[in-house]
Amino acid sequence: MAAGLATRIYPFMPGGAADGTKLISGAIVLSDLTDRPRFGLKGGGSAAWLAAQGGTVPAVNRIGDHRGMRVLRLGNEDILLLAESAAETLAQVKTAWQAAAAPKGYSSWREEGWAWIRLSGPCLAEAMSALCALDLRPQKFGADDIAQTRVGHIEAVTFRSPAGFDILFDITASAYFARAVAAIAGHTDQHRGHS
Amino acid sequence: MKLLTCPMNGPRNIDEFQSFGPVRARPDPDGTADREWSRHLFRAENRKGIVVEWWRHVPSNYFFLAERDLVSNEIIRTFDASQLRDRA
Repeated sequence: MAAGLATRIYPFMPGGAADGTKLISGAIVLSDLTDRPRFGLKGGGSAAWLAAQGGTVPAVNRIGDHRGMRVLRLGNEDILLLAESAAETLAQVKTAWQAAAAPKGYSSWREEGWAWIRLSGPCLAEAMSALCALDLRPQKFGADDIAQTRVGHIEAVTFRSPAGFDILFDITASAYFARAVAAIAGHTDQHRGHS
Repeated sequence: MKLLTCPMNGPRNIDEFQSFGPVRARPDPDGTADREWSRHLFRAENRKGIVVEWWRHVPSNYFFLAERDLVSNEIIRTFDASQLRDRA
């Protein structure tokens, strides 16, 4: 590590608050993406600032695309950029935002405040129906839809990714959420074992 | 399960919401006597009829308004706060 540079320790990392919590794999796979780049903007001017960068701002609760990043519109003035494989582009966008004059919204610190978990695997649909009360079947919940609801009894934002479902929630609930998914996976295995 | 339709997120379990009480006019800080302030702060109306209330959808932190029948507990409609401002 270069002198003077702090490295973030995320919950599931060694030394993190959820260090040692099992991330299940098998019929349901839980992957931790919390260390992946993202940037949240909130407050007056957020949407107009992004639009001025040439980005198409999607409707509320829909996902758009801007220079290889996923743009989640969580409210009129609540936007989240996910840059799973576009870290450099996101860094450029953040630099431009920092240099811009107000009104431009404010940083909602989603890279620190939210965990980012991906669920996948052959029993994903059963797991999601146990974790979330909404109808998330493909005919009801498309690739560009966002649900702000409860998943595993905690407030969360969920949407589809090519691999399965991504879930964003309060980072302090990371260990709880991993355990909740593991419990659901256990029930699913048991159920399949008896059927 | 009782459902409430959020104007932004659609129908949800009412467990996802928090009530913030009826919409009330704010007293004029320059022309309100102590007695009226006291009433405004500490006493609630308890009448029958339809009331417009503030509600919050917790997962999205979205505040909106709902018209509710205080006798039947039926939620008549929900709407964005901008509609109240437009009407004022």
